[in-house]
Amino acid sequence: MSGVPEGFRQTRLVDPFELHVGPIYELGEKGAKRFGFRVDKRHVNMRGVIHGGMLMTFADAALGQAAWDATDHGNVVTLNMQSQFLAPAKNGDWIEVAPVLTRRTRSLLFFRGDFTVDGLAVYSVSSVWKILGAD
Amino acid sequence: MDKVPDGLPQDAENVSRGGFNLHAGPVWRLPADGEVRRFALVIADKHMNGSGYVHGGLLMTFADVAMSQTSRAVSGAETCSTVSLTCDFVGPAKLGEILEARVRVTRHTRTMVFLSADIEVDGRPVAVATGLWKIA
Repeated sequence: MSGVPEGFRQTRLVDPFELHVGPIYELGEKGAKRFGFRVDKRHVNMRGVIHGGMLMTFADAALGQAAWDATDHGNVVTLNMQSQFLAPAKNGDWIEVAPVLTRRTRSLLFFRGDFTVDGLAVYSVSSVWKILGAD
Repeated sequence: MDKVPDGLPQDAENVSRGGFNLHAGPVWRLPADGEVRRFALVIADKHMNGSGYVHGGLLMTFADVAMSQTSRAVSGAETCSTVSLTCDFVGPAKLGEILEARVRVTRHTRTMVFLSADIEVDGRPVAVATGLWKIA
């Protein structure tokens, strides 16, 4: 119910809002990373179920890290995020995602991500990012 | 009663009671503007990204809270679950600015509520969200 799975290391976060809700962790190398975090009492609602806002914030943080890696620390911003909430995750669950860069153009990054708890899909996103200064 | 921050009307009501709602908030309910239900959030240090603007995750959280509150209000249900939420990030917002969510009910059935929210600062668009809620 607690701790971090073997092999994961803490992701270096800089955004105050991500530091406020984190930490988050990562496994693997640039371009093929998995990201994860442990749900705690800060992240849930009165029913002990994770808040959609925390899932969307984790998605934005994980995809942001992947976008940063894909652009060699370029200046990237979220243009759009579509979220589907598939099943509830609870306090103590470990949630992870391996962001997929579906397509990359000169100025845009298209991502999708399937988030799982013990292999069960709980949340999925697709998201468009802009590479600033590339247009 | 919670102390209402400067810049909000005195009858604003804190709807963040605990958990992530409070950790990420607080979110304030403002008096409705006709059919439009209104909510506010004062941007604090904890809400920012590394570039000095409000974080996208906070904007989506605010949209989720505002639309979830509205889905409960229109359905009368004690709980409603977010099924899907789409958010476009159309403009920046800065520390100390007051975000206002203007929530409209697109359609309300026996089991589902369809909603949209325009998030603005002083009438300037910051984010546009739509979403679908299941009535528990």
